[in-house]
Amino acid sequence: MMRRTALSLFLLWALLPSAALAEQAAPATKPSEARPSERPEPLWALDAAPTRPAGSWSVGVFAPLRYAFTDAVEVEVHPLLSLVAPTALVRVAHLKGPGLALTGEYGLSVPTFGLSLTRGYLFPSGEETGKLGWYAIPRAGLVASVAAGAEAQLTGRADLAVGIPVAGETTVRSLDSFLAPLDLLAAPMLRGFRTHVGAGYDRALLPWLRVRTSVDGYLVGAQPEGDARSSPLFLSAHVGLDLRVGRHGRFTLGGIWWNWDQFRTEVRTGPDGYAERRRVRSNDFLPTLDFIWAG
Amino acid sequence: MRIAGWSAPPWVAVSMVALPLVVLLGSCELPADRLEFEREPVPVWRASTLKAAPEAPASLKVMAWNIKYGAGRIDFWFDFWGDRVQLTEEEVATHMAAIYRLIDEYDPDVLITSEIEVNSRRSAYFDMVQGILEHTRLNYAAYVSTWDSRYIPQEGLGRMDLGNAIFSKYPITHAERIRQEDRTDQPPHVGYFYIHRAVGRAVIDVGGREVAAYAVHTEAYDQDGTKQKHIAQIHELVKAETLPFVLGGDFNELPPLCDERVPGDCDGVLQLSGFNDERESSKGTDYEQPPYTPHVMRPFFDGLAPSITLERYGRTRESQQRYFSHTVLGPDRVSDIDGKPGFWNRTLDYLFVRKEDGWVDGSTAVLQKPGDLGIQSDPMRLSDHAPTVGTWRLAP
Repeated sequence: MMRRTALSLFLLWALLPSAALAEQAAPATKPSEARPSERPEPLWALDAAPTRPAGSWSVGVFAPLRYAFTDAVEVEVHPLLSLVAPTALVRVAHLKGPGLALTGEYGLSVPTFGLSLTRGYLFPSGEETGKLGWYAIPRAGLVASVAAGAEAQLTGRADLAVGIPVAGETTVRSLDSFLAPLDLLAAPMLRGFRTHVGAGYDRALLPWLRVRTSVDGYLVGAQPEGDARSSPLFLSAHVGLDLRVGRHGRFTLGGIWWNWDQFRTEVRTGPDGYAERRRVRSNDFLPTLDFIWAG
Repeated sequence: MRIAGWSAPPWVAVSMVALPLVVLLGSCELPADRLEFEREPVPVWRASTLKAAPEAPASLKVMAWNIKYGAGRIDFWFDFWGDRVQLTEEEVATHMAAIYRLIDEYDPDVLITSEIEVNSRRSAYFDMVQGILEHTRLNYAAYVSTWDSRYIPQEGLGRMDLGNAIFSKYPITHAERIRQEDRTDQPPHVGYFYIHRAVGRAVIDVGGREVAAYAVHTEAYDQDGTKQKHIAQIHELVKAETLPFVLGGDFNELPPLCDERVPGDCDGVLQLSGFNDERESSKGTDYEQPPYTPHVMRPFFDGLAPSITLERYGRTRESQQRYFSHTVLGPDRVSDIDGKPGFWNRTLDYLFVRKEDGWVDGSTAVLQKPGDLGIQSDPMRLSDHAPTVGTWRLAP
């Protein structure tokens, strides 16, 4: 039961990149100062570069807790999952101007304990084949957002995460799982590194409704020596909606498409009438869903 | 509401997200193939270069072999002699090269394999069907998948595509798989990802004459009588066969030298349990060896021509051990029970043909060691099963 609970928590954490492209949340505008005749401010763009004013905070069911210590520095942690896989991210505003923002994201995670809870499921549990060493996963990246018309913005991002062995021996092989986010999560540890570039566009359609889209590409290291090799390229595209709920909440709903190489093959009939097996990339669709409170 | 100057009801915005989701959902690969059919055709594979075969032969050399997915004598975790889960590319390639050599040393016209994989993570995604076609004198193959899962969340097994295969030097004109019952003693979520057994049947054109070949591999670990149902179904299938046929494979059952249902009938005649490759740690697990029920094999020995008759097996271990075809314990390990290195310790693999066909005298054997029927390879190092062979005499 304990292992299943811990496994569930870990999978929850692993799905965060897809379930919560709503990683950041913006506080809803306080309506108290608005005159009845005035149009309420639209929801702020999620997953964008600008840091929030000092004292602002947000947290979601899946999204991590983010707190702005100053106007230029935010810290992000996931309170529950950090119990098994400590992860923290610092966002530093390097440039903050009208219509343009450039923010650095610097993080560190230590996922070994969380991954080790999945031994027997995602990893072997054997004495020899199930060893998972301790790794530190530093991550650094930049996010830039520019205004793209009224209530709309374009955001670009790039980041790199590497796995640094700290202690212990690792004998588990690559993950080669059934979920692209899981493989990407484990890639710095088991495949050396993960790089990412992405671009997004979001726009307020109504004061209470915002639409977001993004496309992302990832490159990871090769599987360990001796293992079969898959393509290191992962692609994704996301479409989502944010719906205001009350003064401080928003509901995010969307879907993300993943295109990646999970060693899938297809059998086709060749011109001679006999079967042929060909490797194809996998296409997966995952829903994205979250509820975010902000203040 | 207005969206970019276009007035539309709110549900339109939701639909803009929901509709693509529905379309994309259709392109997803399901977690596992439940093999929801009773009987369906399967594709036929061909070697890229065809090798010459004797025209209109009066007999066919046949081999049935469980090749343990190219793992050789590497100890996987469910056998309790090791904890390996995965092979490297080099290990699979090396083992398969040795398997090709032994196949070519015997040079069967028809090869029936079980535990052959085509795209499984544990065997480095090696396509063993195409490998055998490209590296032996066999020309055609029918692959019957019985375990097709995108990801098995147990010990990191991952992707799996395993089954039975029938290879032939002669054209396979039709191939099909026939579904067998699933176990009923597993939780639903385990059963979903588990093996779904099926019998493979291929029709082969042997110089203008059609014959059939069956590949079987029954359940090994059930506690609910599933294996016995599999064996009964196989018998019904071949009883209804109208073509001359060969039936081969891993039945996971002992020869019917006695009736275990009769108290004391097997004492001193046939060992039913306590084999020297069993480990105490396997007891009470999902991979504990269930009791053998050799009586269920009786109809095959009564109604068909087995490659090894009950008379040849004999009623002593000394006479039977020459035909043993399975052991989990490799030659480099020593038994906890008798302190001896591993060697074949029971018969689980069989070949049967119609009585009116029969076998060429002196041609049937179990290839246990170098020198058997002239082979040079050591089958003990290539799999946990030995090949069962014979020359099938086709009645005029």
